[in-house]
Amino acid sequence: MATDDSMSDDVFEDDTLRAPAPAAHRSTPSPTGYRDYYPPAVPSSRLQDDDDIIIHKTILLGDSGVGKTSLLVQFETGKFQAGNFSATVGIGFTNKVVTVDGIKVKLQIWDTAGQERFRSVTHAYYRDAHALLLLYDVTNKISFDNIRAWLGEIREYAQDDVVIMLLGNKSDSGLERAVRREEGQRLAREYQVSFMETSAKTGLNVEAAFAHVARSLVAKANPVDPSRLAVRAQPTQEQRSSCPPCS
Amino acid sequence: MASTSKDVPIVTIEENPPDDLEPGACYDSILNPTDSFEEFASEMSSSLQERNISLAAINSTISEIQSEIGENSAQIKTTKSSDDLQNKDESISASTSNSNLIEQNGDDTDNEKDDYLQTPELVNKEKHVFILSSAGKPIYSRYGNEDKLAGLCGVIQALVSVVEEQNQDILRSITTKDCKAVFLVKGPLILVAVSKSNESETQLVLQLTYAFNQIVSVLTLTQLNRIFEQRRNYDLRRLLSGAERLIDHLLIFMEKDPAFLLGAVRCLPLPEKARENITSAIQSTCNKIRDLVFAIMLAGNQLITLVRMKKYTLHPSDIHLLFNLVRSSESFKTAESWTPICLPKFDSTGFLHGHVSYISEDCQACLLLLTVQRDAFFPLSQAKHTIAEKLRRSNCLVAINDALNRNEELPTTNPLKHIGIPEIRHFMYKCKSTAQLFTSDPISLDKLQDYRMRHKVGGDIMVKKIEKLSDIDYVRNYRRFCSSIHCTSTPAKLIFRSNSSDTILAWVTNGFELYVTFDPLMEKDQAIKAVDRLLKWIKKEEQRIFIMHAPTF
Repeated sequence: MATDDSMSDDVFEDDTLRAPAPAAHRSTPSPTGYRDYYPPAVPSSRLQDDDDIIIHKTILLGDSGVGKTSLLVQFETGKFQAGNFSATVGIGFTNKVVTVDGIKVKLQIWDTAGQERFRSVTHAYYRDAHALLLLYDVTNKISFDNIRAWLGEIREYAQDDVVIMLLGNKSDSGLERAVRREEGQRLAREYQVSFMETSAKTGLNVEAAFAHVARSLVAKANPVDPSRLAVRAQPTQEQRSSCPPCS
Repeated sequence: MASTSKDVPIVTIEENPPDDLEPGACYDSILNPTDSFEEFASEMSSSLQERNISLAAINSTISEIQSEIGENSAQIKTTKSSDDLQNKDESISASTSNSNLIEQNGDDTDNEKDDYLQTPELVNKEKHVFILSSAGKPIYSRYGNEDKLAGLCGVIQALVSVVEEQNQDILRSITTKDCKAVFLVKGPLILVAVSKSNESETQLVLQLTYAFNQIVSVLTLTQLNRIFEQRRNYDLRRLLSGAERLIDHLLIFMEKDPAFLLGAVRCLPLPEKARENITSAIQSTCNKIRDLVFAIMLAGNQLITLVRMKKYTLHPSDIHLLFNLVRSSESFKTAESWTPICLPKFDSTGFLHGHVSYISEDCQACLLLLTVQRDAFFPLSQAKHTIAEKLRRSNCLVAINDALNRNEELPTTNPLKHIGIPEIRHFMYKCKSTAQLFTSDPISLDKLQDYRMRHKVGGDIMVKKIEKLSDIDYVRNYRRFCSSIHCTSTPAKLIFRSNSSDTILAWVTNGFELYVTFDPLMEKDQAIKAVDRLLKWIKKEEQRIFIMHAPTF
């Protein structure tokens, strides 16, 4: 069964991505007003626009409950659902196009379940990954201690040149914090991976993290351009999230 | 489908419905109509040796399908070992494991554990469920913290093993004045229900079996057995983390949804045409995907359609586990998902791989595409988008939403009003040959939601005055009738019971089971007339309320 890029390219055309050309005359399907919906006139024409965008497979990893899904939901919708933890079952799949430095990057994001019983399922997807976002919870020391094991696993299953980013999530937690930012930084330096602290709750650094990954992926694809490589130098700089709904 | 055409049977069955094809029956069933009760009866009468043998020999349907599909089988076999959740994960799992911690806790609380059993967390609950390993290690407790229940689990384990070893017998239940404790030993696990409800022993065993199957569904039986063969003392909670919620919800559903009581599946009432369109959209999209075993569409614990590989049917209890998985997993709503699922009745030895997604933002129907192929996500994802688009074009999403929102114009939304027999307060009908069920007051998901919110703290026995009975309360009342009807020694065919609060009629034929609640002063002949009319109505609406075809790819 072929699962290469060329095939998945025409598989994952969803509404958000095929917008540009036919969007003008198509009424937007509202969440409930589906009665007024009429199908796009020429469904096959929608492919053109995205064909030149390379898909980058990105996987979210980390212990159960560190906030992988919340981070993704915040990135996708700008929302955070408080007090609503529900463990991911298997692997969740999302497409998202980010624009960095005027370049569109299509991230195919795999949100994995942190539980041990799903490990064998997620391992199968490491090999194809271009980027890995590895999360721990700054209020949970064990999740941080497990990062070394995660990195060992990544080394075993993933490609050597995979882009890795370490994220200390729930950075909004204040007094409950159990892992200092410096500890995260030190670990990231030791393994030579990028590092940020994020908050899926407030949206802090969420877009920045994905943008950083996207930039690194672009830089990797065009290694001759030194200005883009330079981006990697200061990944830990904190920036306010610029997502409109929560600002 | 000759004799199920819509208009004719109304006339022909008028005098004697049971002799003809009963409402909802068709020649070809999507579900395997094996009555669960027979199974549990045999479960309960099996001897110690039989039990041990039955667990040993199981053949794998999944490998059968894989070998039929042929070309991929070699590859699958070699990758099979990576299904093993145990392999190579030790580095991480060892560090995430908190088993050491637990033992310490155990020591600390040793002195106070007797007190713990008396805490509000545990006292005065209607039904407890405990799951432990045969070595006596706690795995799951419905209430309270199982860490603190090590002492209790030790007692349970001792009781079970004393009866087994000294008497060469099986401990099945202990009955006290107001309480039943039912024991079920399945493979390496011991499951116990301690109940003050009016559920029979068989019904409790059935619930424990479901709980066991839920665990198998998460791990496979092969995996479960192997874990305990390798390490008898294993703390299974490590592998089940996140799945406790599935058991929690399953236990609630079993108390609330008559589908479990009757071993049947509830279908979402839909116009015949809409269901046909949905089915054919799935068939036409998926018929070229050769590894696909089942395509199941469901919404709100109700089946919309099921398309299957020829030769293979699903057991209602497997569908219940799928319902439970979908209802309990909010994460399916956020993204298309890919997950291993073991269906214990279909094949307890291996995983099917499931593509799970909601059809669209504006329609809460969930589509499950189950395959034997472990890397089929992309073609299935494409198929899902094609199906969703087809359904939108053919207005099927509107039909599904109307049914889900219980549009007032639909006859099935408020059947009692539509039938026009004011004396009937509630009814519940199961068509035996297709294992499908219909009730007058569909289970309200909101109600379930509320109950679930209250549940972790709730579950206490409360004596409260009920103003208006809901489906749940009627089902509670039917339990006793249900167990008299399914009693293996002296099964009843027809029960008519009247008291000051209501009159209940329970009637079982070869074709169906029917439970009706009337006003208290209902006469027998009146009741029979009403039931006749009711059956006619069900027959008339059968195309809507039941799935009458068994489509295959």
